[in-house]
Amino acid sequence: MLSFIARRLSVAIPTLLILVVLSFVLMYSAPGGPFNSERPLPPQVLANIEAKYGLDQPFWKQIVNYVWSVTTQFDFGPSFQYKDRTVNDVIAQGFPVTLTYGFWSFVVAVVVGVSLGIAAAIKQNSWLDYLAVGISVGAQVLPNFVMAPLLTLGLTLGWFWMTGAALLPGGGWEGGVIVAACAEKDNFCFGLPWGGAWRFDYLIMPVIALSTSYMASIARITRSSMLEVLNTNFIRTAKAKGLPMGRVIRKHALKPTMLPVLSYLGPAFVGMITGSVIIDVFFSTGGIGQFFVNSAFNRDYSVIMGITILVGALTMFFNLVVDILYAWIDPKIRY
Amino acid sequence: MYPNPSTVEALEDAALLAEVQGRSLWADARTRFFRNKAAVVSLVVLALIALFALFGQFLTQYERDTVDFALMGANAHKGAPSFETGHYFGTDNSGRDLFARVVQGTGISLMVGIVGAMVAVIVGTLYGAVAGYFGGRIDNIMMRIVDVLMSIPFMFVLILMLVIFGRSIFMLFLGIGLISWLDMARIARGQTLTIKNKEFVEVAHATGVHPMKIILRHIVPNLLGIVIVYATLLVPSMIIFESFISFLGLGVQEPNTSLGALISEGAGSMQYGTLWQLIFPLIFFVLTIFSFFFVGDGLRDALDPKDR
Amino acid sequence: MTFSHKMMASTAALLIASSSTVWADGHATHPETGETLATDQTFTYRDLDESPSIDPGVAEDSAGGDILRDLFEGLYNQAADGSLEPGVALSHTVSDDNLVYTFTLRDNAKWSDGSPVTAGDFEYAWKRAASPELASPYSWYIELMAIENAAAVIAGEMDPSEMGVTAIDDTTLEVRLSQPLPYFDQMVTHFTTFPVPEAVIAEHGAEWTKPGNMVSNGAYVLTEHVPQEKLVRERNEMYWDNANTIIDKTTSLVINDENVALTRYLAGELDRTDVPAGQFPALQAEYPDQAVSVPLACSYYYTVNMTDTTNPALLDPKVRQALSLAVNRDVVVEAVLAGGQKPAYTFTHWATAGFETPDTPIAGMSQEERDAKAKELMAEAGYGPDNPLSVNLIYNTSEAHKSVAIAITQMWKQTLGVETELANQEWQTFLETRGNQDYELARAGWCADYNEASTFLDLMQSESGYNDAKYVNARVDELLAEAKTSDNPQAAYTEVEQIISAEVPIIPIYHYAAVKMFAENLEGWPLENFQQNWYSKDLYKVAE
Repeated sequence: MLSFIARRLSVAIPTLLILVVLSFVLMYSAPGGPFNSERPLPPQVLANIEAKYGLDQPFWKQIVNYVWSVTTQFDFGPSFQYKDRTVNDVIAQGFPVTLTYGFWSFVVAVVVGVSLGIAAAIKQNSWLDYLAVGISVGAQVLPNFVMAPLLTLGLTLGWFWMTGAALLPGGGWEGGVIVAACAEKDNFCFGLPWGGAWRFDYLIMPVIALSTSYMASIARITRSSMLEVLNTNFIRTAKAKGLPMGRVIRKHALKPTMLPVLSYLGPAFVGMITGSVIIDVFFSTGGIGQFFVNSAFNRDYSVIMGITILVGALTMFFNLVVDILYAWIDPKIRY
Repeated sequence: MYPNPSTVEALEDAALLAEVQGRSLWADARTRFFRNKAAVVSLVVLALIALFALFGQFLTQYERDTVDFALMGANAHKGAPSFETGHYFGTDNSGRDLFARVVQGTGISLMVGIVGAMVAVIVGTLYGAVAGYFGGRIDNIMMRIVDVLMSIPFMFVLILMLVIFGRSIFMLFLGIGLISWLDMARIARGQTLTIKNKEFVEVAHATGVHPMKIILRHIVPNLLGIVIVYATLLVPSMIIFESFISFLGLGVQEPNTSLGALISEGAGSMQYGTLWQLIFPLIFFVLTIFSFFFVGDGLRDALDPKDR
Repeated sequence: MTFSHKMMASTAALLIASSSTVWADGHATHPETGETLATDQTFTYRDLDESPSIDPGVAEDSAGGDILRDLFEGLYNQAADGSLEPGVALSHTVSDDNLVYTFTLRDNAKWSDGSPVTAGDFEYAWKRAASPELASPYSWYIELMAIENAAAVIAGEMDPSEMGVTAIDDTTLEVRLSQPLPYFDQMVTHFTTFPVPEAVIAEHGAEWTKPGNMVSNGAYVLTEHVPQEKLVRERNEMYWDNANTIIDKTTSLVINDENVALTRYLAGELDRTDVPAGQFPALQAEYPDQAVSVPLACSYYYTVNMTDTTNPALLDPKVRQALSLAVNRDVVVEAVLAGGQKPAYTFTHWATAGFETPDTPIAGMSQEERDAKAKELMAEAGYGPDNPLSVNLIYNTSEAHKSVAIAITQMWKQTLGVETELANQEWQTFLETRGNQDYELARAGWCADYNEASTFLDLMQSESGYNDAKYVNARVDELLAEAKTSDNPQAAYTEVEQIISAEVPIIPIYHYAAVKMFAENLEGWPLENFQQNWYSKDLYKVAE
């Protein structure tokens, strides 16, 4: 197992390099450039700017310089669009935000999704099954961009109870879950016995909007996987031996059920902690998704590269984690 | 060690038998599927939606792109759904007949969803099954390729594709499909890893059946259950994905539209009293997804050979 | 100059007025109007997007300008009506040949760290903005100001020290121009000309714009900045006119979606937001005191590709005229946008200072006459039901642009039988396509850099980098050159507009309006200001 992990990690570095070169090439072949705007810049001004950012150098040299500064100094360069900031600044500011609401969304999606899926599978074709299926389909039916404004209208403008009083703030980010103290107007803020307070009012809507579609997918994959497992011979044998259902599920059915779910969770987790443009757009959270979309549209090469590398590294890391979990659940898998 | 001739013969007989049985297996599946009421009803609904998309245009006097200038601007009260004006679903913000637009949007969305999901499922399943079956270095290389591709921002790839190859609906299908096969590949691989340790695969392998034949004959059919469930998950998410692309300005061009685009437009104006602009496309969207879900589920139950 | 005397007088009046106001108690009143002020003097507004920079030398967008006008103060400020008010400079004199401007600075202006603002800070800032080392995307503004040697400095041919701006002493700034520029004094209200603190920049480098590092000389200081989320600025105790500043804290929130922004406004989280296209009449009916529409210095038009890469039909002036005539601008402004915009038959915005909208044949007709004439012209050009014209139109991704394009292409279809293929492109692709003349018809918009008609019409010059139609007309070039030095350029502008109207290299559609929601208790907004340049220090909230 250890040699397997070592082998995988040794592949990770060249993979990242390939990723860097590939996205570099893709990016430069897209039309437009970071300094195009409605008012085209005078050629001399453009030349000054390109010289400043090293864009006047030959293509291969740019790649080499970039890779060099990333690997030796962990420096992703200055942002072309946000001229007061470096890519490191952008990531340092945006990523913790996305990570926070992404993590909580993941927790909610997995807990609710897996429970719904298992409950539905055990009581197949019962009202519980239909309810679970209904909830998960309903969650998937409402796209993010319908759910997000609906939540804002309902909970911020008070449409859901017609009083017109705001229950939750319509957006923004307060920097973290632990705050110094609660303000008077904060709902969902609880003082902690050891000082400070736990505040999550601004987190609720992003987490609901982000987690539901993942939750639905997880519930459905869990349900179908569980049904399949319950029909296998060893579970039938276990049931035939008269073991109580709960025990059969816990001891025997759960692990194999989780295999396809796990395959889904790796990418889903990365998806949740990285690519939530709609959440950032509708709740003004200032997460990485918004930065990414903006930089793609503004051809902010360095920010795209920085975020791409971050996402790439995370994806590889979590795929590795999934594979390790796989091996742990099903020792028969050979590497 | 070579298998002795009689064993090979017996296995060939078994394979023949399996083929005969295979046919009846599908027939059985069909019977089982039609016993599932929810699935049958959903299939009917899907067929109706498809008919609506194909022929709905004949039910209205309006074209999807004709602007009724008299209704523009006064949309919130005059553009409401009404049989009198012939705008059964009301009009959109630009004063165009929403019924005609929903007809067209449903068609495009169905096409994007089905074609996209098909591309993703076929490519993903084969890729994942091959990687999982061969294992070792091949698996490693193939899955690293998936990792690399997954780490590339999909939106950027799409922007590039749409720019380099021009904006056609076909490119959109292909682009969406080719990007979404990655998840499928990982799931298929994960399943293959367990299936390939099963006796029947090991026997086939031991008797020297060609690996591609094993994959197509033994692995892929056993993946069908999970593949179909995933495909039904994929169709609606393709439709949503398409609307996200439209939302970014890279989707279907006006005057064409899609359900996702109509919903996002409707969602944008739901606070201004034109709720019908959201409700009608959403109804078709919901019906489509529900139907795909139940049909997929019915197929799963019907095809699952262990359920006999 | 009489101008400077008047300014001195108004400043003096202001100082006297403010000294008579007592601030200490909770029931403070406004020094001039006497209204009772609210206890909570914070102003929160929506920005569409994060500004690329808040360094005055580097900043490039108007939202960044709003922030910078709070944080920094230039030589002059704009009053509510757009006229000049003393900022750091009290007055200026101009040499007889109109080439040398000498500004007299106030001696009580201070940076937020307490050090005095001197003429040297301006000299440093202007030279910095032009220098190739800073490589500012707005360095062209310094060149536009016609400062001596600025072009050569930007081109890297001369050292910034040779640029025509010199601090004679701490309170005297001398600027030498390469050619007379009648509106030069207007240009020093722009953020590119704001002073920057040399010592702070030397200490922190590029990090100097971060909260904690930044030292500024405006009425506010930067206290918090979370990109893509919010920027907070609070009262600068060192500001020379701090006693008259009423708003304590201004927060700009980045909210990308305008509908969400409106929701949050209605929930009371914001004091100002934008009205989504088409929603103004309903909002005005429901909130008459809050929904506001005022002219904004931008024009919206479709540009026609006049090079040989275009659709050959569009090279026929009759076709272009027909397309322009068939656009029912009243429908566009009343039904599609419905936000108080005005139909445009000329390129220059109707509210531009000193500009009189000239008579053009198209403006005088009724829409029926226009449609009839358009059909006639199309027939003459050889297009009709048997030989329909098809064109394509590109626009950049936006709900509003889409609605306008849908309406206009339908007008063309319904009136002239012209089939239009719409192509919506994301911004960078759009700019590239349009800039390379890889289009037939394209959406375009232009906002005034300063309040004078040439800011619009210069785009029609053959050599202009912004002339995406690649329209070439020697007479227009001649007239525009003439207007630069003329005392009364209106005649030239009228002729240019008439030529454009006849030849239709662009199809003007409407003149913008700023359509906003303002909190009921927010007062002091400069609605009359054509460029919508506002200062938090002029705002205040009254008690309800």
